[in-house]
Amino acid sequence: MKQTDMIAAISTPIGRGAISIVRMSGNGVLRLASEMFSPFPASPSLLKLGTLDAGGFCDKAMCVYFKAPRSYTGEDMVEFQLHGGYAIADGVLKNCVERGCRLAVSGEFTKRAYLNGKMNLTNVEGIMDMIDAESVAAVENGYKMLTGRLDGKISALQDKLTDLLAQIEVALDYPEEDLEYITNEQIGVSLGEVLGGVNAMLDSVSRGRMIKNGVDVAIIGRTNVGKSSLLNALVGYDRAIVTDIEGTTRDTLHESYIYGDVKFNFIDTAGLRKTDDVVESLGIERSLKAAEKADVILLVADGQVPDEYAGIKEDKRAIVVYNKNDVNTYADGSVSVSAKTGDNIENLKKLIYDKVKLGNVSSGDVVITNVRHADCLRRAAQGIKRSLSLIGETLDCLALEVREAWLALGEITGTSASEDVVNRIFEKFCVGK
Amino acid sequence: MQKIYTPPGGNGKVMENTVKDNNFIYDVIVVGAGHAGCEAGLAAARMGKKTLMLATNLDTVGYLACNPSIGGTAKGNIVKEIDALGGEMGVNTDKTLIQLRMLNRGKGPAVHCPRAQVDKYKYHAEMKKTLEGTPNLFLRQAEAAEVLHDDEKVFGVKTAQGLTYYAKAVVLATGVYLDSRIIVGEWINDVGPNGFSNAKKLTASLVEMGFDVRRFKTGTPARIHARSVDFSKMTAQPGEPDMPPFSYMHDSLPAEQHDCYLTYTTSVTHDVIRSNIGRAPLFSGAIKGTGPRYCPSIEDKVTRFADKDRHQIFLEREGLDTDEIYVQGMSSSMPADVQYEIYRTIPGLEKVEIMRDAYAIEYDCIDPTQLYPTLMYKNLKGLFCAGQINGTSGYEEAAGQGLVAGINAVRYIDGKDMLVLERSNSYIGVLIDDLTTKGTNEPYRMMTSRAEYRLLLRQDNADTRLTQTGRDFGLVSDERYERYLKKQAELNKIKEILSTQRKPKDFRELFERKGEVVPVGALTYAEMLRRHNITIFDLKETFGILDGISKQALEEAETDVKYQGYIQKEKEQIEQFNKMEHRRLPDDIDYDRIGGLRIEARQKLGKIRPRNLGQASRISGVSPADVTVLIVYLAQNKTDDE
Repeated sequence: MKQTDMIAAISTPIGRGAISIVRMSGNGVLRLASEMFSPFPASPSLLKLGTLDAGGFCDKAMCVYFKAPRSYTGEDMVEFQLHGGYAIADGVLKNCVERGCRLAVSGEFTKRAYLNGKMNLTNVEGIMDMIDAESVAAVENGYKMLTGRLDGKISALQDKLTDLLAQIEVALDYPEEDLEYITNEQIGVSLGEVLGGVNAMLDSVSRGRMIKNGVDVAIIGRTNVGKSSLLNALVGYDRAIVTDIEGTTRDTLHESYIYGDVKFNFIDTAGLRKTDDVVESLGIERSLKAAEKADVILLVADGQVPDEYAGIKEDKRAIVVYNKNDVNTYADGSVSVSAKTGDNIENLKKLIYDKVKLGNVSSGDVVITNVRHADCLRRAAQGIKRSLSLIGETLDCLALEVREAWLALGEITGTSASEDVVNRIFEKFCVGK
Repeated sequence: MQKIYTPPGGNGKVMENTVKDNNFIYDVIVVGAGHAGCEAGLAAARMGKKTLMLATNLDTVGYLACNPSIGGTAKGNIVKEIDALGGEMGVNTDKTLIQLRMLNRGKGPAVHCPRAQVDKYKYHAEMKKTLEGTPNLFLRQAEAAEVLHDDEKVFGVKTAQGLTYYAKAVVLATGVYLDSRIIVGEWINDVGPNGFSNAKKLTASLVEMGFDVRRFKTGTPARIHARSVDFSKMTAQPGEPDMPPFSYMHDSLPAEQHDCYLTYTTSVTHDVIRSNIGRAPLFSGAIKGTGPRYCPSIEDKVTRFADKDRHQIFLEREGLDTDEIYVQGMSSSMPADVQYEIYRTIPGLEKVEIMRDAYAIEYDCIDPTQLYPTLMYKNLKGLFCAGQINGTSGYEEAAGQGLVAGINAVRYIDGKDMLVLERSNSYIGVLIDDLTTKGTNEPYRMMTSRAEYRLLLRQDNADTRLTQTGRDFGLVSDERYERYLKKQAELNKIKEILSTQRKPKDFRELFERKGEVVPVGALTYAEMLRRHNITIFDLKETFGILDGISKQALEEAETDVKYQGYIQKEKEQIEQFNKMEHRRLPDDIDYDRIGGLRIEARQKLGKIRPRNLGQASRISGVSPADVTVLIVYLAQNKTDDE
């Protein structure tokens, strides 16, 4: 088994669709494809209509090929664009295998791209994030990682630590020189700067999660204020059962909605009401928990906000929503909607969107969406914090901690990539694809 | 009659010596008797091989051509390692000591480094005496002119004087003598250090064998007469009488130590240098060799660090039977008349009497990436290189390599596994790995920051790290091994004692006196020792424990306990490191046939031929992506085999 053996896979999701794509990569796929497809495209990157002979059947299809190293994987590649449906794609794939291809394992195309130097570690993870992405903002963030902005940010922090280490090391290796050795204050300042940078990136972890997985919006309020109606109005169809009977929603309901470039994950919760009903009180507990973890809390009321919600009202994640404005009148400046008529619902969506400030993400800083990156940053931050606590102690240990922080950052950029890191990435990649 | 070792191959070379008897047949020939040569020769002879050492001048044996000092940051650790493995440098240093100090006392045990001033004449004499008294070892004054070899391996050395010596292994330890020249201003002389004759012919032989020969440069300051120095204008720097000796073979230091003196250059010094800079060979282009960044001449320092208003100068005695003094920090290649002007601007040197001029020296050396980590040449079996010929600087770095080369010359002859020290067990391992993996573009000096695991590579535990290895390779004497075993037993005993628990009432008084908070519960001695202000000697005194155990063992144990967390951390890092280090790359691997490697990586890997993935990952120009390709390659080939 050599690195350049031929692999093939169906690259579109299994299921009904207008087209499906089968692609191949490796030494010999061009010859193989030219035997299957005619007329074969005259040059790379040219999409050509023709007839595909898949052994058992023939069908009209499109074919394009890429020549190594100018392809995604860095090897010779061929893509067949076929009519939709599982049977055709499966038949073509089987024929590819009969002609000498091996079924690609998950993530193998990207793995080859990585191994052929087409992308570095963060690039691979960027692609992974794009594949996992569920919204436009997520794709854009993945793209940004792909273009090396994360690398740049991390390298800049690493650079600062390199400077600091050099200053510490010179004191250790040249103790008898007439130099101005670094002072504890200077060490503190440098470490503080890097820690600030690392923390800023760590702060973006929750934003990163929101971009990647969506914004969790909990809908809470007393029973029968119209929380479920609001959910239905927000997502645009009846998801929740709505009745006039108090406490109809006994469990939490989840529903997603794409707004602009962000995904909202609405969580409809049971109303908060003192109850002896065991099922319902469990639901209430759950609703409080949902509110705790949510990025945005919609506190729904149909009159005054009751006292038991006073705490939540002050929460900076909370938006107070006065429902039933078709019946009641509310003071100016508050958000009043009618779940029933749909009045002001669009405004509410924009308010939620503004609340999490994801709107400027696409033009803003790099956002950490990757679990491994977050872990490395956390370890770097810990290393720096330990270094800070060692100021005034002996320099040998301090240097050891600074070095560890440096290495943690290096794991992101691949400047110290160990076998384990690479393995973990591809483990994760299989899941993602 | 004994069979003559007939040279195989017959590559057209005429064997000129007519006297073909046993006197010309050896196991190992060591070319050079400097610090690398001495360790190589002694190691080979002590391991039972008939060994010939050639030197252009036998008065240069173990000669300290630059400062009369052994050790310093990281270098002190190397000397300890040489000693632990059964080498001579530490022993000889103790024998000829002028003073001993521990550098970096306040900066933590990982960077504690011993540094000795020694009597350079005694150092030479004692080393020569040791060589002369070693069975199997033969000293011979001669200039090596040519290494004899066939297509596959070496078989001897021909001298410029016309004699041919045969051997199965050759160690080249030529120092700075290859086609060297010294430079004092406009005066340039084709000689070696201190005017000793150089080796003019061997470079051609190196080129013929395929070595990539480069030219490096270094320098040394003037030697001055003690009576012309006003020491009252300087700061005396005494030795530390309570230090443990350099060698694990010794228990105590000589009673008497002698001071060094500290002074500084002034702005006048710098003005004099600047106004004469036109006559500096370094800037006029007369010197072409690459000099070390860390050891610049005074004119270099003044030019490159123009904003610095003074530079530090140490005055070190050259020996106890001479009045010559070494002026550390004042290396120069300025003309002799300018040197007077410069030196006389320094407080205390106003009336200085220069006895020997400062000079720069240029010399030939090789690219060490052409060597395996065993220090054997990749293109010829049995040929080893050690010391400054490999592009290093410093006596200690040279000696460390010499020891490894000497051991491996013997192992090669015996057809046994050679010694490769690791980055995780010694500075010598770091040194040789750096040289053979990354190469060097300037004279290479060891620094503690080059080591990843310096809390483990301490000066106090070199024996714990390496003496068993030295024993296994047959270089550690019975006496040394017994001393080692005794200390290991002491360390175990200390460990046992330190695990004993005491109640707060037992240590309350000690803790209060030392300003430590007394806890509610009981503590073991080890836990007490982890307190900032409690030393192992406090425990010894307060509780009457640890009696009769050596100071060396106590200090090593104390550091192990106090820094246990960090040491543990480094040990875990080493485990990770070893995962890559233990993934062997086959010797016959063809990098041109591995898909996915970038061209630069292909070339570098093909040239260096790393032994394992770890070494491959340290080659500059080999990226993590390339390493991943190798990982995949290894995994695939393994599958094929199974």
